[in-house]
Amino acid sequence: MSLAILCLLCLAPVGIAADSVGFGTTPERDRAGFFALEWHGAERYELEQATGPAHEDARILYRGPDAGTLISGLPNGEYRFRIRAEGDEAWSDSTVVIVEHHGLGRAFLFFLLGAGVFTVLILAIAAGRRLA
Amino acid sequence: MTVPADSAILPPGIAWALLAAFSVLWVALGWYLGRNNKTAEDHMLAGRNVGLALATATAMATWVTANTTMTAPQLALQLGVWGMFGYSLGALGLILFAPLARRIRELMPHGFTSGDFIRLRFGKFTWRVFLVVSLIYAFGWLVSLAMAGGVLINALSGIDYRVGMTIILTVCVLYTLLGGLRAVIGTDFVQTIIIILGVAFIAWLTIDKVGFEAIHFNLMEERPELLNLLFPAAIMFLFNNLLFGVGEIFHSNVWWSRAFAFGRSVGFRAYLLAGLLWLPIPIVAGFVALATPALGINVPVADMVGPLVAAEVLGLTGAIVVFIVVFAALASSLDSLLAATSDLVTRDIYRGHIRPRASEQEQFRATKVMIVLLGLLTWAAASYRGEIPVVGSLAAVLYFTGAFVASAIWPVVAGLYWRKTNPMGAALGMIAGTGLGLVGYFAIGFYVAALIGAAVSLAVILLFTWLAPREFDWSRLAEAEPRNGAMANGGVP
Repeated sequence: MSLAILCLLCLAPVGIAADSVGFGTTPERDRAGFFALEWHGAERYELEQATGPAHEDARILYRGPDAGTLISGLPNGEYRFRIRAEGDEAWSDSTVVIVEHHGLGRAFLFFLLGAGVFTVLILAIAAGRRLA
Repeated sequence: MTVPADSAILPPGIAWALLAAFSVLWVALGWYLGRNNKTAEDHMLAGRNVGLALATATAMATWVTANTTMTAPQLALQLGVWGMFGYSLGALGLILFAPLARRIRELMPHGFTSGDFIRLRFGKFTWRVFLVVSLIYAFGWLVSLAMAGGVLINALSGIDYRVGMTIILTVCVLYTLLGGLRAVIGTDFVQTIIIILGVAFIAWLTIDKVGFEAIHFNLMEERPELLNLLFPAAIMFLFNNLLFGVGEIFHSNVWWSRAFAFGRSVGFRAYLLAGLLWLPIPIVAGFVALATPALGINVPVADMVGPLVAAEVLGLTGAIVVFIVVFAALASSLDSLLAATSDLVTRDIYRGHIRPRASEQEQFRATKVMIVLLGLLTWAAASYRGEIPVVGSLAAVLYFTGAFVASAIWPVVAGLYWRKTNPMGAALGMIAGTGLGLVGYFAIGFYVAALIGAAVSLAVILLFTWLAPREFDWSRLAEAEPRNGAMANGGVP
């Protein structure tokens, strides 16, 4: 019994840290290619990014007092982020963001639409005085 | 989210000193330049005879703004190299407005506002739709500029966002109030010199200290899509930004009031030169943001990236230079927008709808009251940065207005050049373009709203004009100030 209490006491700070440091609202899916992460619960933080559930390829993205970051420039894929107070052992739960860029077909459709409108605009101004 | 004072690069003492010095400088210049303003026409149009140097400087300085110095880096970090180059396409708005400015001056020698043109060309209904579009845009831009001021001061010095935003807004309201367009143009000239020298200095130091290779290597390692020329959202953004810039300039009274104020043969050359001078500035400003991975800098909020990176790379001197440059850029746009929007409200709402026979002196007073009211409204909205969905970041606010302004491109172009444009088509083009553009903004992203708005507006105007063409006599546009004092064609309620 006393051993169990001792174990709980040892775990308590870790449990508190893991509970108090965490992410705010994060997007589940990102189409634009950029998104913001926000976190809270400590004065200094460590933010980690990985691609697999076991965080084998994890790398520290940020270490410091800021409570958020802008993520951009990632290729399509599933990305996992977790946060902790700097110096703590325990990490928060992972938050997962799936980056899935718009399709190139849609992108070029808008590009061509824009090019068409722009061409009409140039012609309208260039020929404008004569037409008027 | 704000930057804590202990992690800011600029000591608060220096930041307060800079704020105080430049606040006094702009307000004193505003008072000095506007001391001879006696009538509403002096206050609103600076005597209609601004020369080429001042005209070019004011057009360029007004277009170098929060958009350029702070949103261009944000877009480079979000959308990569296309974000940066796409932003520079905004120069085409100025360049393409050059022939329009000449035509506006020819057709409307007595014109005051862009609203005057729409009222005379298309009648009451289209005029009112246009006023809604134009005022929503002007307000969105004002709020984004005030936000940029607060973000800049907070990012560099740790001074609270609301305090910084309030100071910049108050300074601009004060000197615009004192000097009108004459003060705006005069301060713009000084601010242009500061902006060009400052941006060149920052670019030179950044390249010298970080280097292209390190920037490229770290981007490839950490944010490879930013270098991808087939980045889908960035491809969609290219023409969206171009048309957004064109829409902003073609419809806004900021640019029309200058077309009326510039000397008769000055407008074309001034806008052309200003566009060419502006073109490289977003690329230089945006490039700085691509150094983020190489420098290991965290960017807590997207719109802080420019000041944060520049200050980090360049240290205290750099932070001071960035502070001065962006303060000048913000002030040069805020004042222009305050002046032009207050003119539009005075002329088209107060005189057009409330007191059609208002005297010169009444209009003069009303313009000043409007400047103060606009300042207060802007302050209230900018105070809620991050707490209202569309008031999230600078780009989010700015591109929200994209659907509105891009849908106004065609009423202006078709109104100036096509004799048979259908007035109802012009109104419905703005309504449908704005509506569908906003659908695109929320359903797809900010990077398509203006593009959809412009395309839909064009389709509607072409359809209506083809089905029901309406002849127009161009000489009617010269009737902006009829002899009896009342506004022509729908000015009396």
